[in-house]
Amino acid sequence: MKKLLITLLIFSAYSYSAGENDCGSLEKCDAFSSDVHDLYSLQRGLGIYMNYCASCHSLKLLRWNRLQKDLVIPENIVTEELIRTSDTKIADHMTFGMPEISPIGAPDLTLRTRVRGDEWIYTYLRTFYEDPLQTSGSNNLVYVGTSMPNVLVGLQGNQALDKDGKLVKISEGSLTKEEFDRSMKDLVNFLAYAAEPARITREKNGVFVILFFIVFTAVMNLLYREYAKELK
Amino acid sequence: MASEKSTVMGWIDRRLPVTENLERHLTKHPVPKKVNFFYLFGALLMVVFMIQVVTGIWLMMFYTNTEEGAFASVEYIMRDVEYGWLMRYMHSTGASAFFFLMYFHMFRGLLYGSYQKPKELVWLFGCFLLFLLMAEGFLGYVLPWGQMSYWAANVILSLFGAIPFIGPDLQVWIQGDFVLSGITLSRFFALHVVVVPLLMIALVVFHIFALHEVGAGNPEGVDIEKYRDEKGMPLDGAPFHPYKTFGALPAIGIFFIVFFAIVFFAPTGGGYFIEKPNFEEANFLKTPEHIAPVWYYAPFYSILRAVTFGIPFLGITSKFLGFIVFAASIAILFVVPWLDRSNVQSIRYKGIYSKIAMVLFAASFITLGYLGTKPVNELRTLIAQICTVLYFAPFLLMPIYTKYEKTLKVPDRL
Repeated sequence: MKKLLITLLIFSAYSYSAGENDCGSLEKCDAFSSDVHDLYSLQRGLGIYMNYCASCHSLKLLRWNRLQKDLVIPENIVTEELIRTSDTKIADHMTFGMPEISPIGAPDLTLRTRVRGDEWIYTYLRTFYEDPLQTSGSNNLVYVGTSMPNVLVGLQGNQALDKDGKLVKISEGSLTKEEFDRSMKDLVNFLAYAAEPARITREKNGVFVILFFIVFTAVMNLLYREYAKELK
Repeated sequence: MASEKSTVMGWIDRRLPVTENLERHLTKHPVPKKVNFFYLFGALLMVVFMIQVVTGIWLMMFYTNTEEGAFASVEYIMRDVEYGWLMRYMHSTGASAFFFLMYFHMFRGLLYGSYQKPKELVWLFGCFLLFLLMAEGFLGYVLPWGQMSYWAANVILSLFGAIPFIGPDLQVWIQGDFVLSGITLSRFFALHVVVVPLLMIALVVFHIFALHEVGAGNPEGVDIEKYRDEKGMPLDGAPFHPYKTFGALPAIGIFFIVFFAIVFFAPTGGGYFIEKPNFEEANFLKTPEHIAPVWYYAPFYSILRAVTFGIPFLGITSKFLGFIVFAASIAILFVVPWLDRSNVQSIRYKGIYSKIAMVLFAASFITLGYLGTKPVNELRTLIAQICTVLYFAPFLLMPIYTKYEKTLKVPDRL
């Protein structure tokens, strides 16, 4: 019987190691877990989004005024600088005047980090490389054959694949590698916020709820012990 | 007797037996003094049931049960409804908690013989509740109308389509359409919020009334009714209220700590409680690469997938046979009271074969659960097949080993 159990255990361990690849052509995505409590990071992320993403990708589930409140942006900056379509009210969703279905097939990004995960997006944004076989002129290691052009090339500089399939820089961008990585973290943080604005309150207030129940349990345990004495 | 008094309570009692029933089911209902933590899951299940009902009502106020509106209305609840996110996460985490507690509650029943004579009906009602809970969870999972809602529902509904002769028509009848559509969604909504919960409430009442008729068990399998004091209270028993009600409160507190830790800090449970593809709206043109059930169905889904062969000369496809085995894996629980021929209740006094059987059953259930969340490959299918056999063997062989194995003598008192 023991032997059988051990065999089973080994078998399950083996089947676990034969895991599947969920980072495209990469073995593993780069580790990153988003933080929605860093206000400045969220604001910088919004800046990158507005400059590099918003012309193709809508955020149709997020409202301008929610963004304004959560990211502590003065209202006039939102209405004058960020909302660029004339008929958009501050309570409207961030569609940037785009039609419901994007004519170029760019997906809405509101829930993207929840579908793909932080690590996937973070790695995806940083692994574009030059590929003349692609219509857009670039390809991606995480999402092989992606139709999205490398819009971040100005920041990151261009990359290409060497003989071993590793990324090498072939031109410099306006940011250093560290600066670019940090910007992409800001962007993913912002996207994670957009995917779940309530996460800010959720993670802040959860501690108090749990503390309450720790006290509750302690008090109830004392009460229970009083009754348990009578049972002896 | 309260009913003879000229008080308000007496007035009511002469018309409605409130005091009598409070005494019968709470303040004078005897329960064993000494039980272990396994006996707390019933109380916790009641708590979760209430969480599900209350949060469910609130979600229903804002949810739209149409193909066009369902997905957006869930995000509306998550963003624009005050504390809507809390209601939604409590409901989704509550579903996982419900199954987690239910599995432990039933395993307790198996360990300590909580199905043996005269508790057969208590066990049967409980098995029906598991079946209803599985239906309820499935129906509810379709409602957010995400990719996984849609495609997992497709997988399950196609099982009905695999039944010979009537299958395809049956599937269309259940769906209400030739494909899974908004029509299916709105009928699933009706079933999820009205029909199944009503049945569950009725069965919970039956479950508890039947339990109070035959008395609660204990880990020793001792009959506490044997020795009573002069007032008729069993010597090893104590009134349910206040002793057990207050006994359950610390457990409820601990449960809430874990429950809210998940709700506030890991509501998606790493993709096991709310799956990633479900944040993408259902799209009937795009099948996800890997369709996985939520963790609580995974063991049964594994059993379903483990059957890779049919019986061609009887016209039974592997899919249909898988469906039969899958249904049997739940149905077999219903007949456990009649499979166990042991003269003792508790695993503590049963023989070595019963103990091995329980370990094998638990190990296979967990392994099947793990495999159910992973894509198939040959090795995993083989392990799932072995585990399926190991899942059924403890039950199928139960009449033999419980009859012939050597049991220990059960003490008289707790």
